[in-house]
Amino acid sequence: MPSPDDTMRAVEEETPVILSARRMAWMRFRSNPAALIGGFMVISVILAAIFAPLIAPYPEAAGNTIDFANRHAAPSAENFAGTDKVGRDIFSRVIFGFRVSLLLVIGVLGIAVPVGAALGLAAGYFGGRTELLITGFTNVMLAIPPLVIALAVGSILTPTLVNAMIAIALLWWTWHARLVYRVAKSVAAEDFVEAARLAGASHWHVLTREILPNCIAVISVKTTLDAAFVILFGATLSFLGLGVRPPTPDLGSMVADGRQFLPEMWWGVFFPALGIFYATLGFNLLGDGLRDMFDVEV
Amino acid sequence: MALLDIRDLNVSFTSYGQRTHVLRDVSLKVGEGQRVALIGETGSGKSVTSKTVLNTLPGNASVESGQVFWRGTDLLTRPDREREKLKGIEMSVVMQDPLSSFNPVFTIGHHLDSVLYWADRRAGRRRGRAERTAHIRQVLRKVQLADPDRVIAAWPAQLSGGMRQRVLIALALMNRPAMLIADEPGTALDVTTQDEILRLINDLVTEEGLSLLMITHNLGVVRMTADYVYVMRKGVIVEHGPLKQIFEAPQTDYCRELIGAIPPLYGAAVKDQPLSGEPPLVKLENVSKRFTRRHLLRRDETVDAVRNVSLEVPRGEIFGIAGESGSGKTTLARMVMGMLGATEGEIVIDGVRLTDHAEGRIDRRMAQIVYQNPGTSLNPKRTVAQTLDVPLHFAGLDKAARARRTDELLERVDLPRHFASRYPHELSGGQKQRIAIARALAADPKLIVLDEPTSALDVSVQKRVITLLEELRSDLGLTYLFISHDLSLMRNFCSHIAVMLRGEVVEQGTPAEVFADPRHPYTRALIAAVPVITDAEDAAKPVVTEAEKKRFLVSSAA
Amino acid sequence: MGKVFFVASGFIEFLLRRILGFAVILLVLSLMIFALARVVPGDPARMAMGPSASAEQVEAMREQMGLNDPLPTQYFRFLSGAVRGDFGVSLISGRPVTEQILRLLPATLELVLVTLLLMMVLGVPLGVLAARYRNGWVDTLLRLISMVGVTMPAFLVAILLQLFAAFYLSDWPLLGRIDRGIELPGGPTGLLLIDGLLAGRLDVVRSALQHLAFPAFALALSGIGQIMRLTRSAMIENLRRDHVQTLRSFGVPDRVVTFRYLLKLSSIAPLTIMGLEFASLIGNAFVVEMVFAWGGFASHGLESIMQNDLNAVMAVVMVSGIFFVLANLAIDILIGVIDPRLRLKEGR
Repeated sequence: MPSPDDTMRAVEEETPVILSARRMAWMRFRSNPAALIGGFMVISVILAAIFAPLIAPYPEAAGNTIDFANRHAAPSAENFAGTDKVGRDIFSRVIFGFRVSLLLVIGVLGIAVPVGAALGLAAGYFGGRTELLITGFTNVMLAIPPLVIALAVGSILTPTLVNAMIAIALLWWTWHARLVYRVAKSVAAEDFVEAARLAGASHWHVLTREILPNCIAVISVKTTLDAAFVILFGATLSFLGLGVRPPTPDLGSMVADGRQFLPEMWWGVFFPALGIFYATLGFNLLGDGLRDMFDVEV
Repeated sequence: MALLDIRDLNVSFTSYGQRTHVLRDVSLKVGEGQRVALIGETGSGKSVTSKTVLNTLPGNASVESGQVFWRGTDLLTRPDREREKLKGIEMSVVMQDPLSSFNPVFTIGHHLDSVLYWADRRAGRRRGRAERTAHIRQVLRKVQLADPDRVIAAWPAQLSGGMRQRVLIALALMNRPAMLIADEPGTALDVTTQDEILRLINDLVTEEGLSLLMITHNLGVVRMTADYVYVMRKGVIVEHGPLKQIFEAPQTDYCRELIGAIPPLYGAAVKDQPLSGEPPLVKLENVSKRFTRRHLLRRDETVDAVRNVSLEVPRGEIFGIAGESGSGKTTLARMVMGMLGATEGEIVIDGVRLTDHAEGRIDRRMAQIVYQNPGTSLNPKRTVAQTLDVPLHFAGLDKAARARRTDELLERVDLPRHFASRYPHELSGGQKQRIAIARALAADPKLIVLDEPTSALDVSVQKRVITLLEELRSDLGLTYLFISHDLSLMRNFCSHIAVMLRGEVVEQGTPAEVFADPRHPYTRALIAAVPVITDAEDAAKPVVTEAEKKRFLVSSAA
Repeated sequence: MGKVFFVASGFIEFLLRRILGFAVILLVLSLMIFALARVVPGDPARMAMGPSASAEQVEAMREQMGLNDPLPTQYFRFLSGAVRGDFGVSLISGRPVTEQILRLLPATLELVLVTLLLMMVLGVPLGVLAARYRNGWVDTLLRLISMVGVTMPAFLVAILLQLFAAFYLSDWPLLGRIDRGIELPGGPTGLLLIDGLLAGRLDVVRSALQHLAFPAFALALSGIGQIMRLTRSAMIENLRRDHVQTLRSFGVPDRVVTFRYLLKLSSIAPLTIMGLEFASLIGNAFVVEMVFAWGGFASHGLESIMQNDLNAVMAVVMVSGIFFVLANLAIDILIGVIDPRLRLKEGR
């Protein structure tokens, strides 16, 4: 057994005096005002969606109320985003519209991220035929215009929120699979993976404990950025008439409705558009900040 | 007056609000025609010094105080524009890494021509493209590149590392500078190529009457290329003096330690490892490995990575496999580990044929491996304890037993227990290798394959890791298969050695035999190329003729 | 030593592999769209006939559409037709699907090509600019613009542009490809810009450009943002490389290193991504064409989908796939021209 003196000799080798990785990342994030603003915007959208009935000045606007006397009212003190064609408060409907958007995000990414990550991990780690099969299939899926398939699915099935979700999720996993595959493949080539296998670790251990933790950064950045794209995509679908059923407020269909009354009643398009823009910009800024923070290319 | 005169230079780096002092009162002089070396280990600040002179410090660095005189003028007080004019004309740098020093989507000629064109512009000269190309050809011949036109037309990816290194030197010589700053030239290359490069630099310095500032971590390189030496540690010049004085009568402990850490190639200090006299643990019989590259249009190409190798590794010994990059030594090691199957031949470990193991994969209690690169051999997201837990867990130990064994293992590799909670980025290179060794030990193996375990470490750290490995071998009765290109290390650490060239073992025996009387010309060339630190060692090296070199070495000249 | 340093066979082999891969993509795509059209709940014949048709009428339609044959037979019929460019007849209009698509394709092609041009011409230089002045105000501004571009859905940009024009550019044409009064030049390509130029009809070119401006910009905006961001990050990544240091250390001016040496190297990443994003570009074209009443292939696709015209939908998906594949092949060749490593690469 080595003496205490011997023990010291190894410690004396210069141990790098550095900030912990987490602290560094946090400092990078904090010094990025855009990311902070993005984070704030995302939190505000989430809170607004959860507490919509409390925040919206006219919660009943989310339903089937009709107030013809007040239809197409321009922005004013009472309805500061104006009212729509049946006199509902647009601001309240935008607040409620966030609910649909976020539900869509949770539904789509809840399916697409785990599926994509699992396939990407498997392809990157196992290689060989698994890799060929998964990357091949992913490449095929990438060749399909997502909107086209979503429309096709949406029109063949009945256009509901759940169907829209399924349609979007059907294609969305490909981007995650592609990304995780790229990272997992490079991680799998590192010596520590082989070392773990040689130490007797199972494939499951290697996938979940050795490789996955190294992919978390890219997955979280991609997921945040994707939230913005899903909102955007959902809005496009419902703009084309494949969203939720009326009267549930939905940002995309509100724009489509308002479009008929352009350019005079501009607020009918402008404020729902602003709602979409606010939510997507928030997620994008946050995702961009996270990207800088983790220093990954997504 | 000295050509370059650095006085009391202080430089610091700022990152995320933290300021680190990287150079402290550094003073250094290079006289006209003088060859000066600046030596130091990783993080000593030697490269920062050269970057300060060249004005290529990164944006977060700041010069706190001091002067850098060039022919009597303090460069630090001059505007960037003016300093820019010195680059490549008065002082030229020879870059370190020839692999990434050229833009991959432009030809070599394009790079050279650009540099020449802009140098002409600054000097107010006018030359046509043809004239410039003629000049480039001439300079390429000067660095002994046999076919300049081919080099000019080549893409960077088409040249070997040695050739690219020569082109980098040509770039530096292009405008007949007064001083050459060489930053670890040839470090990334094989020993024999590095030897050629260093000789070339030496010749050029003499022929062209240049001054040389050689920045390196290798004392052998210093001895070859310098007359005056500065030794740097943690941003401070700890000692300086003429080569002879530093090497023969070092004044500081650090210098003595540094010189003492270098394994001798010849002489009384050389250590002979005892032979165990036991039967072989590992036996290779006529083992070959062929890789096939499939093509659609052409015939498939095959590469014989390992050809007909037969070896016996006696139990309890350290068997070294020496060779340069591409010699097949790593492929051989991977076959022994059961990670690659042999195309032909048989590998027997502890009496069992490898092909008889399940999946052809060797039992983990039989063999483990320690990798070359401490940066990639540990999972950055897992603590030391978690890393060590894997083999222990799969060996079926319960939680308490695993914790106990982790402590034991850390103690075995001379690390304190509290290191168990550290992440790899909180460890130095040497400490990471210790953890990698501990992980290998955790599986309780009979054989450990050491794949260049110290080549990424500083010499002083290398010495401590090697001492540890020797202790472990005798305490635990381990057998090592040691893969390396470092012959002086192998001379002292191995009990058997096999030299590989292009997939074949060309010579094997005990180090004492092989080094005293190398039979194969390639072995002779390899030994002759090792940079040593004493004249006595240099004199003891085997002689190799140019014709032999030509036959067995891939020349970086053509 | 040979004199030929351009080893082309490696590159040709690379391209062959890609073409093979693309063929597989199209094959699987055809299988998927076929499955989607046949296996999803709902009877295509019923969809084609509408809810008011009688059971006999639907059955007759089934027979006519060949829906009573075994699925493999149906698939093979679809595939062999598709290879010959025959996607059957539209269930709505009764006219051959291919004919309809060919008639509408040039409009979309023109829009997409101008969009791509816009994306490159604006995206790359702005990305270079942002990288050159990184972390300064120019960079911040450009990053913000690129983010807005990426954030805005194409249909919103389209509508907002229309709204803007309605208020400030009352004479600007907002719908269609060309002013009604102008006689079409006719011509080999069907692209108004090119045919107009060939015929020397500047009025056609002028009007077509006016009509193109807004739709192309609406379609390009998110791509401009993405290309800008990718060019910027590729440039910054490459700026850290040793070869930048090499040229600078020998006194090659900064701007030459940036604009000549780095730009070429940094264009590889955005090009690759542009190929991948091509699918969503086609998707966005659907919406933008609708908003601007463009009357192209994409609006036709949208109508077909809305009307459950299955044959047309299948054709639209396949043609989009072919578009994607051709675009990516072109990009691969372009990257091969830029990057010698790809040409020199031996097969795997």
